[in-house]
Amino acid sequence: MSPTTVQLSRDEILRRLETGARSRRGMSAGELLARYRKGTLEDPCDVADLLALADLLRADDPLFVAA
Amino acid sequence: MPAFDAFRELVHFVLSLTIMREDGGVLLQHGPRGFDLGNIVGWFGNDRVPLTDGRWLRVLVQLYLDAVDGGKLKVETSLFQYQLDEDAECWVFRYDYLRNPADQHPASHVQIRGTLTETAVVPVRGPLSRVHFPTGRIGLEAVIRLLVEQFGVSTNEPPEVWRPVLAVTEMAFLRIARRSISGPQA
Repeated sequence: MSPTTVQLSRDEILRRLETGARSRRGMSAGELLARYRKGTLEDPCDVADLLALADLLRADDPLFVAA
Repeated sequence: MPAFDAFRELVHFVLSLTIMREDGGVLLQHGPRGFDLGNIVGWFGNDRVPLTDGRWLRVLVQLYLDAVDGGKLKVETSLFQYQLDEDAECWVFRYDYLRNPADQHPASHVQIRGTLTETAVVPVRGPLSRVHFPTGRIGLEAVIRLLVEQFGVSTNEPPEVWRPVLAVTEMAFLRIARRSISGPQA
């Protein structure tokens, strides 16, 4: 794997999601994803980077199950 | 995955010719899901690419291999945001594309953090920055040209070098880019 490619661990993704969701939306990462999945998250494109980060997790990740 | 790497190299190349500071670059991120999906992002924190004008371009392109379409590499999301600060509180404009938008906003749109001169007009959702102006598909090349030609960001190479390159890559993008209507079908 070249140095311009990184494989993020689950812990690293969760840490970034939690930090981003709390600082930008004042909610946990789990709540942000739950609202997105229910279609009740306002302006999801404003947090498209966080949603793209969450997409790197496995589909059966407990974070999504909780959502 | 060669296709992901090639895309990352192309993004890095066009930025290097034009508006990216010498110490900038883009990364390809994968995660536990595997190598059928990846995010190309600026390699400074919060997905930032440093620009020659001392400001930042936030870059995110999410790519995936479409198993039902012969494994073609496709864009799920793209985001290009011109901003003054690291935390993106002072952003200027942002172009977004979401292949599958979750709300009523256009799949391809631009937002501008500005103020309407005509105060009698009040957008439904408040400040101008929350208005999603529909656009066609906008690639990185168009954003680079906008920054150079309209915002005066200097380039690393002269126009006779970068303009033909961007013309070729942008035309290639437009030939295959998916286009969407400006809102939900129903």
